[in-house]
Order: sequence, then structure tokens, then C-alpha cells
Amino acid sequence: MSRYEVAFRVNGEERRDSVRGEDTLLRTLRELGHVDVKTSCEAGDCGACAVLLDGEAVNACLVLTAQADGCEIVTVRGIGTEGNLHPIQRQIVEKGGVQCGFCTPGIVVAAKALLDRNPAPSLEDIRRGLAGNLCRCTGYQKLFEAIVAAALEMRG
Amino acid sequence: MDYVRAASIEDALVAARWPGAAFVAGGTNLVPDILFGRKKPGLAVDISRLRELRFIEERGGRLRIGALATVTDLLESDRVRKAAPPLHESAVEFAGPLVRNRATVGGNLLDASPAADLAPPLLAQDGEAELISVEGPRSLPLASFFLGYRQTAVRPGELLSAISLRPLGPGDRSAYQKLQLRRAMAISVVSVAAALWMEDGRCAEAGIGMGAVAPVPYRSWAAEAELRGRVVGETEIESAAAAAREEARPIDDVRASAQYRMRMCGVLVRRLLRRALGLSAPPREL
Repeated sequence: MSRYEVAFRVNGEERRDSVRGEDTLLRTLRELGHVDVKTSCEAGDCGACAVLLDGEAVNACLVLTAQADGCEIVTVRGIGTEGNLHPIQRQIVEKGGVQCGFCTPGIVVAAKALLDRNPAPSLEDIRRGLAGNLCRCTGYQKLFEAIVAAALEMRG
Repeated sequence: MDYVRAASIEDALVAARWPGAAFVAGGTNLVPDILFGRKKPGLAVDISRLRELRFIEERGGRLRIGALATVTDLLESDRVRKAAPPLHESAVEFAGPLVRNRATVGGNLLDASPAADLAPPLLAQDGEAELISVEGPRSLPLASFFLGYRQTAVRPGELLSAISLRPLGPGDRSAYQKLQLRRAMAISVVSVAAALWMEDGRCAEAGIGMGAVAPVPYRSWAAEAELRGRVVGETEIESAAAAAREEARPIDDVRASAQYRMRMCGVLVRRLLRRALGLSAPPREL
């Protein structure tokens, strides 16, 4: 079976792997230890595996790893760290936007992409911006509140 | 599965002749189809970096959209918003942002789902598919593109390069609606796009695109015939709605019954024509 050499940056660090044609970016990232990218539906329906691929939020389960060769990838760990949380992350914690936590990495990535494009979103913009991310615990309300607060904070 | 990244259109066309080859761009349909065993291509020909197929331009009096334009590209394009409002609205309703950033116009059409979101607005504006192969280019009206359930007229080795549309001007009228069971990430129950090109108060040309009510998305020629060349009022709208309803061949599925879908064809055609022409909503819709 043919294997393909790929190299990309994940959260600023160079990563290399030898992959099969059908391997998805989600599976490769997790095998490389980036388990902050979550596996759930693997069909593009839930958003748990969202990453920034060259700055755009995408479902990592829908990208062939070979297609990401040479790209810049950011996962939730690249957005903020435990000692230095991004405002989106801190506000999600403060507003109680985390229950089981499984959707949280994808939500943070989608919210980051939304605020990068639109620093002053309306509530409707936020709802639409998170439309590809399922959360089965929070009912979304606290997540929306957190993103409103993060946007305010980031605009100063 | 083997993988090759096409560096040029010529590259892609040569690789596509390999037995079992399939083009992959955004991957939003193909990648899960491979993972879940619904499709088993022997070779994925990655065309996602062919920048020359990602554009939205005006050319020869038509709006021309490259097959690799993403749904986000459609959503953010002022040209699309002005010259193809139903296509803009279908992009708004399309899946969610994570999928829109990857899904391409070409991929949505080639997947050939009866519920393909972009098909009704493209059909309504006289969409024409541009295809290329090692034998040369050819073009095909979108109305002849879908042959049957998930089947298209695209031949093995052919690459869909662009779609062109008849643009709508400031005096023309249009409307779009996707009936769906939730506001995002939904497969349409019924979707309809209507475009009316106006001349001196008459409807000079009409396009009605229908989705999820037959094995393929299609143009409702019967409904269009009730509008073309006429001053469109209540009588014409009722005739068009009845024609659309009679023409539909929907199925029962998890989202809705065939009977409901058929009824909604009439309701939506009536509602969209009224909305397009600025008439008030009728008191009772069914």
C-alpha cells in the first residue's frame, strides 16, 4: 500500500508523518498526540474535530491528511494554554459553558474563527457561527453568552 | 486508496483516466463516503489546489463561478448577492460554517443529491455546466446535467470546471426558500428558487428550480410556461403553483411524506412568486 510523506505545522510546531491516501487529518492529528481534537461523528455533522486550517475553521474529519501537506494547523491548544487562556476559553469557563466538555475544543476553534472574521457579532451571527457545532449538555445559551463577553473583552 | 495532487488541470485530466479515479476537492461528501465504505475509489485525484478553478466573475453577460469556489466564497461575494440572490440565500442556509469553508460548488452538483442545496438556484438562473476532458471542452445546460438519483451526465475522465448563470438585474425579481426541520445542518425537505426577468412589467423569462421533490433537482418547465411572456398576477401565480405541484414526484422519507412535499411545491411556488413580486401573503396558504 502506498504511503505519502506529509509535513505541516501544528500550533507552530513542525510535524511529519507517513500516511495512507484515505487517512483523515483528524485521525492523523490524534495519532500524533493531538488528542485535544475530538473524534465523534466523523461525517462533518458535529464540529467536535474543528481545527483552523490555514486560518479557516474546518472539520478535520473531512480533510484527507495528504491534502493538508504544507498547511498551518491550529487546534484548541494553539489558541490558548492553561496558564494563558484566550478570552474565549476564559469566558466559556466563567459563564459555565462547559459541562461534559467534549464539544468544547471544537466550539473554541469555531468561535475563534468567527471573531477573527467578525469582531462584533450579533447574537444571530454567533448562533450561525456555531451552527456546525453540536453541544448536547449546555443548551448553547451559556456558550453564546461567553462569546458575547469574549468579543467585548477583545474589542477592549 | 492512492492519492495524487494535481498541479494543473492537465495533470488532473491525465490522472482522471486511471481506473477507479475520483476527484476530491473539499471532501465534505467524498471523505465520509470513503470512511463509511459507500465509495471505494482506487485513486483520489486532489484538485483542491487548482486556484484557476476558484473564481467568481462576469463574462459574456453571464455570472461565471469556478467549480472550486467554496460555499463561503458564494456567501461573501457581492457579485452573487447582486446578480444571483437565490444562490446567495442558499449559501446562507447551507450546512454550517465549518462545512461551507470546504464544500465547493462543483462538489455539491457532482454529488447529485436530489436535495443538493445549490442546484435549485443554479437551475432557476439557467445554469450551464462547463466540462473539460482530454478530448476538449463541452458545455451542458444544468437542466440536462442530472440524469437520475445521484447520477450525472458527466463522463468518466471529465472535470466540471465552472457553472455560468444568467444574471438578475436590479429590475428583475427572485426569491428562494429551503424548508428544513432545523435552521442549520439540515437536509432540505423541499427547496425552491424562482427567478423572473422583467421587461415593461411583463415576465420576459422565468426560471423555477425545484429540490428534494424528485430523484433529481430540476427546472419546473411547466410552472415557468405559466409565467413566461405574461404580466404575472394572481391567476398566473395560481397556475404556476398548480403546475409545479402536479409535476413533482417526491418520495416518503424520514424528513417528510411524499404527500406533504407535493403540497409544499404548490405552496412554495405561490409564496415565492408573491414575495418576488412584492404581493402580500395570501390569507390562507393551503
